[in-house]
Amino acid sequence: MSGKEFFVNRYKKLGWIYRQVKLKQAIRINTMNANRDDVAERLESLGILLDKIPFLEDGYWITKTKFSVGATAEYLLGLYSIQEAAAQIPVTLFTELEDKTVLDACASPGGKTVQLANLMNNSGVIVALELKQRKMFALVNQLERSRVTNTAVYNMDAKEASNLNIEFDCVLLDVPCSGNYVTDKGWFNKRTSEDVHRNARRQRQILTEAVKVTKDDGEIVYATCSLEPEENELNIDWAIETLNVKVEEINCHGEKALTNVFGKELDRSIEKCKRIWPNQTQGFFVCKLRKKV
Amino acid sequence: MSMKEITDFVAQFNASILLDGSRIVRNRNRYYLLSKKLKQQVPKGFFYAGAYLGAVKGASFFPSFLLLAMIAERKANKLVIDKKTAWLFICGRDIFQQGILEGNNLKKGDYTLILNEHNECLGFGKIMHNLRGAPDAKKVAVKNILDIGDFLRREKRQSRRQQPSSRLQGSDRKPHKPTHK
Repeated sequence: MSGKEFFVNRYKKLGWIYRQVKLKQAIRINTMNANRDDVAERLESLGILLDKIPFLEDGYWITKTKFSVGATAEYLLGLYSIQEAAAQIPVTLFTELEDKTVLDACASPGGKTVQLANLMNNSGVIVALELKQRKMFALVNQLERSRVTNTAVYNMDAKEASNLNIEFDCVLLDVPCSGNYVTDKGWFNKRTSEDVHRNARRQRQILTEAVKVTKDDGEIVYATCSLEPEENELNIDWAIETLNVKVEEINCHGEKALTNVFGKELDRSIEKCKRIWPNQTQGFFVCKLRKKV
Repeated sequence: MSMKEITDFVAQFNASILLDGSRIVRNRNRYYLLSKKLKQQVPKGFFYAGAYLGAVKGASFFPSFLLLAMIAERKANKLVIDKKTAWLFICGRDIFQQGILEGNNLKKGDYTLILNEHNECLGFGKIMHNLRGAPDAKKVAVKNILDIGDFLRREKRQSRRQQPSSRLQGSDRKPHKPTHK
């Protein structure tokens, strides 16, 4: 099953009416390299107009610019990163990051890895995994540009993270997903329900491995940019039942996640997860899990 | 493990830098400086780790921008350039004397770090003639050797290299290919 009508009908059943959304470009100031106000002032002097994103501490929407924000001296000096607004949320959900050992399980292109390093102030250790060799270059280029010095990058499948023999305090699972129509114009023509199920199975394998390498009482932040419940609420419901984790309360942009999906009642704690339907941002799903002691 | 390539490179700027040799790791042709924690916790086989210092290719050392920024924090050959010159430098251009704001005491053949008005290191270059005296608008004062615009040029080179394989993927496109944010 596929096609725009199929997916739009699914969203309607989930309580959301489809609409076309124009994605706003956003940046995040790398506060380990520069003062937030200074960077904003420097960009405004170049004619790049910014609007503070109300639900993010270091995030700004670009409201007007005559040239690419990826080609300024400030960008090349690592003073800011280009990162979609919703994608800036997951990293901010960890309770404490300084001096911790953190796994970024699906790291490329590295926006969230840099954000982690930023919130850790380059302390502790980040282990960043990326399966695809061709994506490694963008990842390490981003790390060097942003002056990240606490990260080790491995060309490795997240499903094999336990081979590193490291126990992590925090794990970021920004898992490969089906994406959504806001960031991919041809999305409805490309995706089928079988793709969604295949991605969901892969995400469960990554979740299983992540729980294995997380310390007792450690935190796992799970995020997708998919609107499909199989990759979101249904995967978390499965994780609560199968893996040794519980859902934690989070305080961020987004609405309560669904606890009834196509007639199936899910664990009540899933309402603590956040679902973001496309509006000011792309579609997104995020939640925080804690490994039970 | 020898760090001679790094110390020799730093010395070209009349600078010295104290690096703990026990925390420097050479991985293929690349040098990395690892924090104590990284050194203790991270197993071998990494692709990239810690502070990337630079790479050795043949007899030459190619520094990272992190290493240049580390040198810039110390006493070293430095030139501060104006806003317009900084932009042109990042675009790969050489520097003319009119654009130099500070640091005119360098002589022909010296290597120097290039800083913007905020004292941020934009790269480095080689002095082409003594900078004392009246500026000559037609003469290049500093030859651009490396600038931070290289981050963009690398990406372009890389995407050109990847084009044949992406074309192949396009012809064999699988509808279920996962998207990554």
